[in-house]
Amino acid sequence: MRRIYESNALRREDGPFTPGEQEESSRPRRNGDGDASRFSRLLVPDRLAELSISVSVSTDRETYPVGAPIPFTVTMKNAMPFSVSIPTVSPILWNWSVDGVTEASRVRLRDPPDEPDVFGFTRGERKQFQKRWPQAFRVSDREWEYVSPGTYTIGAGLNVADPVGSGLYDETIVEIVDR
Amino acid sequence: MTLLEVNDLTVRFYTQEGVVTAVDDLSYRIDPGEKFGVVGESGAGKSVTALSLMRLIDNPGRIESGEIMFKGQNLLELSESEIRSIRGNEISMIFQDAQTALNPVYTVGEQISEAIRHHLDYDNEEAKARTIQLLDQVGIPEPETRYSDYPHEFSGGMQQRAVIAMALSCDPDLLLCDEPTTALDVTIETQILDLIESLADETDTAVQLITHDLGVIADVCDRVMVMYAGKPVEKAPVEELYYDPKHPYTVGLMSSIPRVGDRRDRLQTIPGTMPDLVELPPGCSFHPRCPFAEEACTRIEPELVTVDGSATTATADTERAAACLEYTGELEDGLDYEVHVTDGHDPISQSNADHRSEEPDNVH
Repeated sequence: MRRIYESNALRREDGPFTPGEQEESSRPRRNGDGDASRFSRLLVPDRLAELSISVSVSTDRETYPVGAPIPFTVTMKNAMPFSVSIPTVSPILWNWSVDGVTEASRVRLRDPPDEPDVFGFTRGERKQFQKRWPQAFRVSDREWEYVSPGTYTIGAGLNVADPVGSGLYDETIVEIVDR
Repeated sequence: MTLLEVNDLTVRFYTQEGVVTAVDDLSYRIDPGEKFGVVGESGAGKSVTALSLMRLIDNPGRIESGEIMFKGQNLLELSESEIRSIRGNEISMIFQDAQTALNPVYTVGEQISEAIRHHLDYDNEEAKARTIQLLDQVGIPEPETRYSDYPHEFSGGMQQRAVIAMALSCDPDLLLCDEPTTALDVTIETQILDLIESLADETDTAVQLITHDLGVIADVCDRVMVMYAGKPVEKAPVEELYYDPKHPYTVGLMSSIPRVGDRRDRLQTIPGTMPDLVELPPGCSFHPRCPFAEEACTRIEPELVTVDGSATTATADTERAAACLEYTGELEDGLDYEVHVTDGHDPISQSNADHRSEEPDNVH
């Protein structure tokens, strides 16, 4: 039986194309539409790509009773009839925050790898993510503090250097009231 | 000497929906020849743990921190070629779905002998002879004839046996069994578990058995780690886990085991489902499903600590530990459950070290 490795189609030692090699170029793409996203990086200038994407944050109500988790929806839409991709500063593609506190945590949750990534969108694609804020801020590795009534700003934006300046950020205000 | 020691292992997947922490600060050890069980529901991080040991986590997953010491060397620091010489040779894995694990276009014999040729430098004839011996050892009838069969010509149980033969082909020191009997019926399940156990005993191979079935763990393992939402929630020798479970999740798992002769109308289950790993609840990840949850459980995440009263932070070497605020003195009302042992028709009651009576066959 003739096997593929006997055909010399594969090298059986370490090399850039050896199966299992953890080279970035050979990794499967996970964001957007793979090759089209990468190709669009060559054709679409970054500024145009940023203008193509809109981000919105919405909640189904404006007021919530104390203690009830607040569900919110983050919607990202590519207005262009072609694929675009946004370079991000780390593999974390987007973030949400409450009153400017990322993921409502006052402690650093994780130390993401220091390598840029790409958030891809196919033509006209709309991505929607459902999240819930449990009305609590993480204040240490093990502890959370529930908030008191008042107004809070829930924001979400792509993980780029300046999401607000790039137009890749949106926020909404909710009010927490006593029952 | 410890064969495998995992320290503070954290594995994350960077997805569009958010960051999934599939394994969070996990530590344990396995001694040579020991059978170690990892139990938990789907999504608890059991399989990701095993794949991390083989360095088979692919993008978008990353092993972010920790160390995996195998025979004194950190697997996370080895080059790709060095880990490939260990993978399938010193550490091998029995996958959950044998049909998917086997390549449909190569004969079963060829797939087993490929590993032998690659790792042990056997020539074709020697590898074939060894493969036939292995097929015979795992109970495949007429191994000489079956050597040339393709996977689709094997039944499900025979495919699983072939995968076991492949995993054992290079006499590994550590065998990772990822739900090896999930796809099989109960009679074949028993045969396969007996086979793994006897082969491991014969060759003094350590086994890490991953399953969601506590019955399987009781049958095979020496020590157990219970996982929930990517974290270890209880570690114990197998008998202590059954007779004296310390975490409410373990208690829930035990009480949801169906038993012949059980007179209850409905099988007791753990209410709710495992939380989304992208968005864990504040405090203890299990609190939304826990019947003993208090206000503190919604604010404080319990550490894995010893249960002897000292509440010392558990390490890889800790034999008995649980992650519940009960053991750090932060739970006001305590855990109120009983374990009933039934030996035939006569219920036997046992008292725990504290105020509760415990019995291992029925947990309320």
